[in-house]
Amino acid sequence: MSIELVCPAGTPSALRAAVDAGAHSVYCGFRDETNARNFPGLNFSPEELTEGVRYAHARGAKVLVAINTFAKAGAFDPWKKALENAEKSGADAVILADLAVLDHAARNHPALRLHLSVQAAAATPEAIEFYQQTFGVKRIVLPRVLSVEEIATLNAAVSVETEAFVFGGLCPMTEGRCSLSSYVTGRSPNLSGVCSPPEHVAYEEGPGGTATKLAGYTIDRVAKGAPAGYPTLCKGSFVAEGKTSHLFEDPVSLNASTLIAALARAGVTALKIEGRQRGKGYVAEVVRTFRAAVEAIEAGRDEVEVERMLAGLVEGGRQTSGAYKKTWR
Amino acid sequence: MVDPIPGELPKPLRLLAFPSRFLPLGPALTLAVRRFARRRPAVFERLGEHARASFLVEATDLGQSFLIIPDGMRAEIKVLSSRSRREADVHVKGPILVLLGLIDGTFDGDALFFNRAITVSGKTDALLALRNTIEDAELKPSDLAGLTGEAARLLDKAVFGAIAGARRLSGSQGQGEAA
Repeated sequence: MSIELVCPAGTPSALRAAVDAGAHSVYCGFRDETNARNFPGLNFSPEELTEGVRYAHARGAKVLVAINTFAKAGAFDPWKKALENAEKSGADAVILADLAVLDHAARNHPALRLHLSVQAAAATPEAIEFYQQTFGVKRIVLPRVLSVEEIATLNAAVSVETEAFVFGGLCPMTEGRCSLSSYVTGRSPNLSGVCSPPEHVAYEEGPGGTATKLAGYTIDRVAKGAPAGYPTLCKGSFVAEGKTSHLFEDPVSLNASTLIAALARAGVTALKIEGRQRGKGYVAEVVRTFRAAVEAIEAGRDEVEVERMLAGLVEGGRQTSGAYKKTWR
Repeated sequence: MVDPIPGELPKPLRLLAFPSRFLPLGPALTLAVRRFARRRPAVFERLGEHARASFLVEATDLGQSFLIIPDGMRAEIKVLSSRSRREADVHVKGPILVLLGLIDGTFDGDALFFNRAITVSGKTDALLALRNTIEDAELKPSDLAGLTGEAARLLDKAVFGAIAGARRLSGSQGQGEAA
C-alpha cells in the first residue's frame, strides 16, 4: 500500500462500514467537546472505541482518534481523559491541535503516535518543524488552503508525513481560528466542536422556499427544489454592495479525486475523507469509490469517475478541487 | 439545480400499501420498539436529552404520518392520516422508501437534505440525535419482530428484498449518482 485512505466514522456502525468498504484507517472521536464533530447522538464512548479498534485491527485497518478541539482554560480534564481513553483503547494515533493537549500527550503518553490536526493550521516548514521537534508529531493534516505545488514544496522541506483532504465538507478559512458561529450562538467549532450548534438551527418552509435560520437570524433561503448546503454562517447568503451572494464560501463539497496522483507525487502519505457527521450509507459509498480510485491509479488503470459517482452526495449539488488548483473568484 | 432523488412509490405499490392503514400498525410498532429497547437499551442512550422529543414523520406518498416518541421502553408510535394536524418537536417529510432508506442505512440524511428529497423543520438537535441513534442501531425487521436465528434471516431477506424491489421500480436505489 502506498497511499493511505483515512476515512470518517461518527458511530461504531459507520466505523464498521468504512473498514468493510476498504478504509486503510478510520478516524473518530469521543462523545464530548474534545472533538470537532460534537453533535447530538454522534461519536463513541470509550467502550465503543475499544470495540471499534478491535474490529478494525482484526481486518488490517487502523483507528485514529480526533481529540482536536482547543482545551478550555481551567477545565482541562476532558482532554486528559480522552488521551487516556484513546491509549487504553489501543488506537493507532491521536489527532491533536491544542498546544497544551500536545504537550500533555507527549509527556504522559509517549507511546501514543501524534498527528497534528488540520485545526492547528500548520502550513509552513517552520510551524511543522516546531510541532515535530517539540512534541514528536509524526504526521501533519494539511490545511485546505494549499495548492498541489505548494504541498510539493512543503513536503520537500519537512520530514514528517502529510495527510491531505480529498473529499467532503470544505472549510477554507484559517482553520483553528474560526469563531463565526459564536457571534450569534455563543458556541464555536474550535472550542465546542460545532460549526452551527444544532439547537440554534431551524428550517422554515414558506412560499419562497426554505429559510435556514441560525439563532433566529435568517442566514440563507433556498428555492423549492434547489440544492441546499449546511446551515453555517460561512455558507450563508449576504447582501454586500447591493448584491446577494454566498459572500464567504459557496455551499460546495471538495472533490480532489482527479488530483490523487498529483498529491501522491507531491509526497502526500495519506488522503483524508471528511464526514464524521454523515451516515454509514455515505461512508460506505465514498470509501468504496475512493479505494477503487486509489487502486486504479496505483495499478496504472483508467481513472475512476469519482465526480459522477458521488454527485448525489455533495453539498449544494456542486464539487470543487478547492485550493489545490486555486481557481476561486 | 439538481433533480430531487426520485423515490415516490409507483401508483400500483401505493394501492398495495393502502390496506395497511386499516391495520393496528401504531400499537404493533410501539410494542416492537419497546421489545427492541429491552434487548438493546444502550442503543437509546444516544438520544440523550431528546428521548422524550416527539417526531412527526410524514410519508408523503402514502398519505400517512408516524408520530414517534423514541423513549426506549417507554416509546410510543401512532399512525395518523397526513391530513390530521399534529404538533411535534420535529417534522420530517419524504417518500416512504426514502424514509426507510434512512432507517436501513441505504441513504445518507445530509445528502437527502442537500438534494431536497426530504424536508425537515423543528428542533434540529433532536432530529440529529434520532438520526444518529437509528444509524448506529443497524435496525433490521427481525429486531422489531423479536425473531432470531433462521426465522430472522428469512424475514430480513424477504423485507429487504421487497424494499430493494420497490426502490428499483421507483428509481431510488442509489444515492451516489445524482438523479
